[in-house]
Amino acid sequence: MQSFTKYISGIFTALKSLLKGMGVTWKEFWTKKVTMEYPENRQTLVISDRWRAELIMPHDENNEHACTACGICMMNCPNGTIRVISVSIETEKGKKKKILDKHIWDYGSCTYCNLCVITCPSDAIVFNNDFEGAVFDRNKLVHQLNKPGSKLRDKKK
Amino acid sequence: MNYNQPLELTGLLSHLDIFFRNNLPPFWASLVESILVLITILAAYAVIALILIYAERKITAFFQARLGPNRLGKYGSIQSIADMIKILIKEIIHINRVDRFLFYAAPFFVICSSVMAFGAIPFGKGLQAVDFNMGIVYLLTVSSLGVIGVLLAGWSSNNKYSMIGAMRSGAQFISYELSAAFALMTVVVMTGTMQLSEIVENQRYAWNIFNGHLPAIVAFVIYLISGHAETNRAPFDLPEAEGELTAGYHTEYSGMQFGFYYLAEYLNMFIIAAVATTVFLGGWMPFQLKGMDTFNQIMWYIPSYVWFIGKTAMLVFISLWVRWSFPRLRIDLLLNLEWKYLLPINLVNIIAMVVTVLAGWTLTGLFPNIFGITP
Amino acid sequence: MKDIQQVVSETVSDAVIEEKQKLTVTVAPGQLHSLISALYAHEALPFDYLISLTGMDWGDKLGVIYLLSSSRDLSKEIVVITATDDRDNPLLYSVTDMYETAHLNEREVYALFGIRFINNPDMRRFLLSDDWKGFPLRKDYDGDPAHNPITIVNKEIVDIAPRIMEDAGGNLMESTVKIFDEEDYIINIGPQHPSTHGVMHFRTALDGEIVKKIDVKSGYIHRGIEKLCESLTYPQILHFTDRLDYLSANINRHALCMCVEKAAGIEVPPRAQYIRVIMDELNRISSHLLAFAAHCNDLGATTAFIYGMREREYILDIFDKTCGGRLIINQDVVGGVMFDIYGDFRKDVNAFIPYMREKLKEYDDFFSHNAIVLRRMVGVGRLSREDAISYAVTGPAGRGSGWSCDVRKHKPYSLYDQIEFKEVIRLEGDSYARYLNRLEEIEESLHLIEQLIDNIPEGDVLATVKPVLRLPEGQYFQNVETGKGEFGVFIESKGEKYPYRVKFRSPSMAAVSVMPLICKEELLSDFIGIGGSMDYVIPDIDR
Repeated sequence: MQSFTKYISGIFTALKSLLKGMGVTWKEFWTKKVTMEYPENRQTLVISDRWRAELIMPHDENNEHACTACGICMMNCPNGTIRVISVSIETEKGKKKKILDKHIWDYGSCTYCNLCVITCPSDAIVFNNDFEGAVFDRNKLVHQLNKPGSKLRDKKK
Repeated sequence: MNYNQPLELTGLLSHLDIFFRNNLPPFWASLVESILVLITILAAYAVIALILIYAERKITAFFQARLGPNRLGKYGSIQSIADMIKILIKEIIHINRVDRFLFYAAPFFVICSSVMAFGAIPFGKGLQAVDFNMGIVYLLTVSSLGVIGVLLAGWSSNNKYSMIGAMRSGAQFISYELSAAFALMTVVVMTGTMQLSEIVENQRYAWNIFNGHLPAIVAFVIYLISGHAETNRAPFDLPEAEGELTAGYHTEYSGMQFGFYYLAEYLNMFIIAAVATTVFLGGWMPFQLKGMDTFNQIMWYIPSYVWFIGKTAMLVFISLWVRWSFPRLRIDLLLNLEWKYLLPINLVNIIAMVVTVLAGWTLTGLFPNIFGITP
Repeated sequence: MKDIQQVVSETVSDAVIEEKQKLTVTVAPGQLHSLISALYAHEALPFDYLISLTGMDWGDKLGVIYLLSSSRDLSKEIVVITATDDRDNPLLYSVTDMYETAHLNEREVYALFGIRFINNPDMRRFLLSDDWKGFPLRKDYDGDPAHNPITIVNKEIVDIAPRIMEDAGGNLMESTVKIFDEEDYIINIGPQHPSTHGVMHFRTALDGEIVKKIDVKSGYIHRGIEKLCESLTYPQILHFTDRLDYLSANINRHALCMCVEKAAGIEVPPRAQYIRVIMDELNRISSHLLAFAAHCNDLGATTAFIYGMREREYILDIFDKTCGGRLIINQDVVGGVMFDIYGDFRKDVNAFIPYMREKLKEYDDFFSHNAIVLRRMVGVGRLSREDAISYAVTGPAGRGSGWSCDVRKHKPYSLYDQIEFKEVIRLEGDSYARYLNRLEEIEESLHLIEQLIDNIPEGDVLATVKPVLRLPEGQYFQNVETGKGEFGVFIESKGEKYPYRVKFRSPSMAAVSVMPLICKEELLSDFIGIGGSMDYVIPDIDR
């Protein structure tokens, strides 16, 4: 007899628990969904300021940047994503000086560890928010960060 | 009492029938009509499947805090058509070391059994292709043929996942077929007929689920559970169990062969709901109250096929709701549920129903003036 | 620990005992087994928990570093070192007779260093394929790709394991043993399978649907991180830790940072400590949420999976606002944290806590008491306390077996000795205990965060660190509690700016190694479910 009552009560507790579960899904069914509809909400999309998307070298209105071609970012990069190519020129005073020729960063192999940015002594490179970096050709992932014709900003005296 | 039924298709159908019989010899008229019926059924089969696939994806999404398909058409409404085109043009991959003949034959067993069951369902007043006097037995028989396809698929694929899936599904089908049949028999005890049209007709004022009250409700619930299990859908989706067996018995199928299984799965869900509607919820019969002619007239303005689809859709919704609320059963729990719970309860229930009917405790027996069919 | 030193010197008279960061004992290879047996059998404080087994190449010698601890008191640790001169055929005695967890670890050491272990019953290579040429972590390894070319030829899996056994007379005999019987019905769960949570390969022998035997194969995503570390500076190594157990990324990173800071004597500012711990706990919640979600998914409840992911999203949003990453968050650096918290951090976290509590209740209603769930989890995959210790299964799984093994309690680091929280322990040892443990630990983590979030002190977030960091010569250990269990970092430094050897102790490896035991005689479906309840992450194993 006892096992029989257990049998019957077992059915009802099981049913109760199942209905409770269905109650949760039922509630969810009518809840407004939080899903973002990405391409449509492009205008209103908020990306956090610190989001690391693409490495850039900010240039000012005179097409000048802050990179001294010291190569610390290249040294700190754990997997050789950054290449700093410098050339030696002679200044007006006749001194030899190393300036930046090309600062090359490979979007495809970057691990976004941020070491280059935090170790840069002149804060010449930063990550921006532009996360839509997909391209059809792998070669296009290799970016040259310094704009053509740009030069080193003179230190303010 | 004859009610005005402006949207029914009976008039149109009889016009067609008269037109063919007047213009063709009797044999040819029958042939042409059969072919037309066949085409209609196949078309309806495909269309309903597409609608169901879309509905399932959308409803599932809402249960799961998602939006579901929303890229193609307004609210993703033509998503399933795109899917259909995709699956039709997909390559059928030929697999080495399968049993060719059985491998290619298996999907047809599944789809045929499902189409055959589909054809016998009364969709509305006068919208039934065949009306056997033992319709329920027919439905049970043809729908149980599908398991052959599943077993063959698993066996011929020469794949261990498929094999385990097929074996599971064999055990599952055979077990739950019993419960489903018993649950329907419970109703047959009450209605005294197996003919679907008569069963619907008998429910004019009291649906079977109300007429047989407690035993009928138990039978209804059992039928829904076992029907759900027969369609191989979660939480009874062990033969597929994508988390364990990748895709179970149809792992090796691709393209339209896979599409057949896919279609059949959705249509089986519809068929189970449709049979439950017909047998328990009054089928296509509008909701009527004896003696209230105005109310009844209003109900009849809604055509019978809308009633049918509405009731079926509700049951399909419940089946989806269940599907997306529970985790999967294990094979031993599945068999426990059937042999230790559903079947014994069913047997007791059928006796309870017999007693109810003999003692006249059905609603029609107790209150013939309110629920009886004859005035 | 004086007592232990005495045991050591009594057992092995010529052992070198040193008080370094931890008590370190160096013995000759022949005496290793007797020493460890004595420690293992110590009555008051049995060293029955093998935290990590690290292969080493000291140039002239090849050896192994054992980090042992006691299940009774995790704060007591002892380091046992042994080494052999023979570089061509290095042989050491196996400790698999005492520690089950040594099986996979010794196989890993064999693959990476070529040291074979006498009396280990299965000496196949772990992580590397059987025909790999060379031993990658040896210092003289030739990494030329020509030696191990990438092939697209299908390799047959060899089910014959070599071994070296010692007979009663002390003679060594090489023999082979078959892993599976001829007539076993073997089904491959993995390497590509929906429920292995990564590229993991379980070769499973079935009897009907009942699991008879499981052979674990791993290494499909072995990246050689430990080898890579040897040629990178300490700040550069940091980014690898995020990629081990990516679900506990920040906690792993915290471990390495602390290890380096301790070695270099860097004091971390309090504000940074607070931020680290809060981020760790948020990370733990997100890891447990994903574990819950994936476990439910393994049981076939797709809806619960998405609910878990939905809540996790809130944490990831906080992460990406704090440090610009979601999964790989790069927050900790040597000396502090990379980013200070953003303006609304407190507000966001304070809003998240009540939300998460409400959702935990929803999980309870939805899943935890569901009749099907109970039948699929209660009493399934039972892991006894003894086995948990022997297999070194820590984390929520170990605590589900009644073993108090929370590193935060026993070996408190950072702020954990200053805050109040409960160690969640259950005794049943089944899937359900592990499952409930995780949900309860989410609650505990919320409680922890609550204590910290409104008290974050003002100040710097980064101590001044030399641009080129050299650690003084020595061996450094640091263990932390991640979402999966005890994660350990070992660094051996020769005083250069590159580490000489880095080893990560992976909690997932222990969880996987116990799978053959707890899944035996269970159904195939339960095997998947138990896998979900153990919550392993494959990249953590394939370092």
